[in-house]
Amino acid sequence: MSFKPDRFSTRRDTLAFIICLLLSVSARVAPPPVQDSLARAISSTVLAPFLWVQEQAELIRASRGRYALVVESRDAALVTAFTARALEEENERLRELLALSARLPMEHVSAEVLHQAAPTTGLMVVLAAGRQDGVVPRAPVIAPGGLMGVVQSVTARSSVALIWTHPDFRVSAMTLDGSVFGIVAPRGAEGPNTPLLELSGVPYQDRLQPGTQIYTSGLGGPSGVYPRGIPIGEILAVAEELEGWSRTYVVRPAVHPAAVSHVVVLTGPGVDLRAAFSRQEP
Amino acid sequence: MSSRGDGLRLVAVLLLLAVLQFALRPFLGDFRSAPDLLLLALLVFAIRARPGEAAVAGFTVGLMVDSLTPVAFGAGALAHTCVGYLAAWGKAVFFAENLLVNAGFFFVGTWLRDLLVLVAGRHMDQTTMMWQLFFWSPIKALTTALVGVVVLVVFRRWLRIRITE
Repeated sequence: MSFKPDRFSTRRDTLAFIICLLLSVSARVAPPPVQDSLARAISSTVLAPFLWVQEQAELIRASRGRYALVVESRDAALVTAFTARALEEENERLRELLALSARLPMEHVSAEVLHQAAPTTGLMVVLAAGRQDGVVPRAPVIAPGGLMGVVQSVTARSSVALIWTHPDFRVSAMTLDGSVFGIVAPRGAEGPNTPLLELSGVPYQDRLQPGTQIYTSGLGGPSGVYPRGIPIGEILAVAEELEGWSRTYVVRPAVHPAAVSHVVVLTGPGVDLRAAFSRQEP
Repeated sequence: MSSRGDGLRLVAVLLLLAVLQFALRPFLGDFRSAPDLLLLALLVFAIRARPGEAAVAGFTVGLMVDSLTPVAFGAGALAHTCVGYLAAWGKAVFFAENLLVNAGFFFVGTWLRDLLVLVAGRHMDQTTMMWQLFFWSPIKALTTALVGVVVLVVFRRWLRIRITE
């Protein structure tokens, strides 16, 4: 180790640091509309070429997966067991998405998920579909398993979706038969790979059994955010009881955001989607 | 080698890391453990730059990160500014040419960035934040440090860095 006093921080360095800190704090405390405008401006200009590169890389990965699967089916010996398994999983996800896409009775857009490296990327993701594709703010985002989140902001070619892990996420939920209603919100994590949801506000007299599937209720009608019938998760256990009043249940989410590479953004007026997901019922 | 040539080579390496960050992302597996090449570019820049320049570069990188995941806009800018400044200042005070020390430098820089983003953002519940900070962030810091070492070894001449064992 050698000492290099000539590269110590000077007054100019300190000043630059303080100015950057002040600008950062200003950005942090700015009103949300200003933050949204800034984020949209940067991602649609400076970052646009980089996002385009990532979108193309995502397409190449998916195409490569499908192509290699065809090759593997003709000559399995050419593909190692590990690669084949990974490609099969990728292909399975794409097949599920295509099947879901065909079953959906409302207008929708398919999009690649462009995961980023920041520690907050588990709460929000960039989608490779934007205004030009018909995506609008507050459009529901779903994966083959169920609900993923909601579009928060849109640029011409990309959009940002808030995922169900975000602390601000809320959705009105119900059981399949529509007999029990409640509000679903994120509930921390049980482990590094097991984020959970909770269903609160369930009337005390309505007891839900573990394994019961929970769907979006569609409350709010055509002007609501989420259409009826998108799977959210399944009941794991009772979390809290407000004696004689209501219960809160722990819910295992239907979709794990880290495992999703492609999603569907619903763009049309809301309809009941229970039938579209019914083939996935156990 | 001329100073202008050095600068161009440094810019080329930083640009390469920025492009690879987006081009390789789909192939790097789980985003929570994959190396952060954008942050690595900032740390590599901080090795060569003055603290003030590194702070400005950190602020710029942070704004980009915030724009991609605007969960807590400004938190990324704040965290990257601090990490850029501290990294350049730290390298000036304790300058080391040892590969392991550089790996540690990348590891600490990445973990510190995650810590500052989460603390400044205050958008995660306690359990999720603990898992992120003490499980995923160290893995990400480790993968970033490994890639950082490879970058230093491969581009040591371009970056004008002397590496000792």
